[in-house]
Amino acid sequence: MLSIRNLNKRYGRFQAVSELNLDVPEGEIFGFVGPNGAGKTTTMKIICGLLRATSGEITLDGVDIIRNSRRMKEKIGYMPDFFGVYDDLKVNEYLEFYASIYNIKGQERKRITDDLLELVDLGSKREAYVDSLSRGMKQRLCLARSLVHNPRLLVLDEPASGMDPRARFEMKEILKNLKGMGKTIIISSHILPELAELCTSIGIIDQGRMVISGSNEEIMQQVYNKKVVRLKVRDRLDDAVLILKEYPFVDKLVIGENTIQAGFGGGDGEMSRVLSDLINRGIPVVSFAQMDGNLEDVFMKVTKGDDEQ
Amino acid sequence: MNINPVLLKELKVRMRGWKAAGIIALYLLVLTVVAVFIIYTTFMDPYSSNIDPQVSIGAYTALAVFQFMLIMFIVPALTAGAISGEREKQTLDLVLCTRLKPISIITGKLFASTSQTLLLIIASFPLFSMVFLFGGISIKEVMQLFGFYIVTAVTIGCIGIFFSAHLKRTTASTVFTYGTLAFLAFGTIFIGVFYIRIFYNWDYNKFLPILYSNPLTGFGSLLAEQFGYYGGINAFLGLSAGSGQNPNAANAISPWLGNIIFDIVLSAVLLILSAARINPVRKSIFSYIRFRGRKKKKASDSI
Repeated sequence: MLSIRNLNKRYGRFQAVSELNLDVPEGEIFGFVGPNGAGKTTTMKIICGLLRATSGEITLDGVDIIRNSRRMKEKIGYMPDFFGVYDDLKVNEYLEFYASIYNIKGQERKRITDDLLELVDLGSKREAYVDSLSRGMKQRLCLARSLVHNPRLLVLDEPASGMDPRARFEMKEILKNLKGMGKTIIISSHILPELAELCTSIGIIDQGRMVISGSNEEIMQQVYNKKVVRLKVRDRLDDAVLILKEYPFVDKLVIGENTIQAGFGGGDGEMSRVLSDLINRGIPVVSFAQMDGNLEDVFMKVTKGDDEQ
Repeated sequence: MNINPVLLKELKVRMRGWKAAGIIALYLLVLTVVAVFIIYTTFMDPYSSNIDPQVSIGAYTALAVFQFMLIMFIVPALTAGAISGEREKQTLDLVLCTRLKPISIITGKLFASTSQTLLLIIASFPLFSMVFLFGGISIKEVMQLFGFYIVTAVTIGCIGIFFSAHLKRTTASTVFTYGTLAFLAFGTIFIGVFYIRIFYNWDYNKFLPILYSNPLTGFGSLLAEQFGYYGGINAFLGLSAGSGQNPNAANAISPWLGNIIFDIVLSAVLLILSAARINPVRKSIFSYIRFRGRKKKKASDSI
């Protein structure tokens, strides 16, 4: 679907994006993670034809986006990290304006507007002025706007920034719906656990370079070289640690209050063997599970903080 | 027919409610008061008891000057924030990432910003026709004047849009737009006079071209020509073909016509430059020069 090869963007002497490579297959939700100023928004803007790349190639379904910018814009929907709404328009007029840009006319325009407002749960606000909407509603309206021409690729830059927990939850539900509709989505966010839950794959960018990318599991394996398991016991924590240390494929134990987090080199068979051993030796195990991965830990591990830059 | 979506949206917003209609009504009322006042005072003149074409010429001139001043003062204020305002509202990127061409965005904003003034001009047409009652002015001449108005309004609009596209802040754009207009209206006259006084060069064919860019000269010469005055501004420009001052004057085009041609060319250039400025994936001339420079350097290095 989307392929980025050796993308570079330079502002004078500052290299914002450097030799970036990325593949997003159709139907995927790709989470774009990185510290502030890492190059996420720059990359997204280049994909959407809002910035000129210094060098490199971006193709969508094999067609060069940079050379066929106008044609490809019909296939891409972009939601920036700011509202960008016309306050003096009504909600339905706002969507109809963008629909008219894509030459959608008459009844079809009305139908699409109504459908999108239902999708983002703003059906009851269609006659309200954009000015009167809450921040969360404006952000949902912006999402609806980016969908008005039924794009195949959605580029969402921090769609949940500044939202309260309820609005974030609602936004997440909408994105899940879009995922169900088969849209390919690139999404950047600072709320990493949400990305981990929502995305099929993740890329971490730092100082303009893609540091690591792949599925959540692949990233955890790349970073820790192993799976991560988490064990919780009622007591006898020290005994449990000694038992785990007997296994050569278990290492990097992180001991907490009644919990142990460990790197696990074996497969499912080894996991069940270790669990049986713990129980047979009288360890009161409360839970024993492979972790989905703590993206925040990975993020901190693979990116450099401001102090280190 | 596909109407520019930007223009349609802007018109919808501007024409909503009673505000737009109220402005038109108020404007026409002011124009009517001006026209009636002039006609009334002329009729009150004890030495002029008959219907005199001079009445219509007086009213026509007053209305024409009033309307021209409106264009000169209002259009810059309305257009100088057209693109920078979109930037400030953070809506420009959202339109640029659609399939809409930059030139469509620019023309949409231009005609939306000037539409209100153009509407006022067109709405005042029936009022101008009042002067036909007294003779002295023909429909053709009123049409000429309105054509001149429209071209001037669009050109000033293009200047406003140009600065709005190139400068980030609306305030700076407004200052530059009024500054450019002041230069065209007064600066060009100053340069012309300066040229004559310093170099004692009374060859008007060399002097004229710069005044073709002057809207005041164009407007003045149009009225002068309509009233059949070959003195005044036309004499100043050396265009009194009959006076024998300048043998080349007969071949020169009228300042108002020259001004219209200048305006059309300037508008087209400014629109193209504005569209290029807002195009996010444009190749800047500077990057092209740098690229050529690097290429030359590489070539010389390899030699």
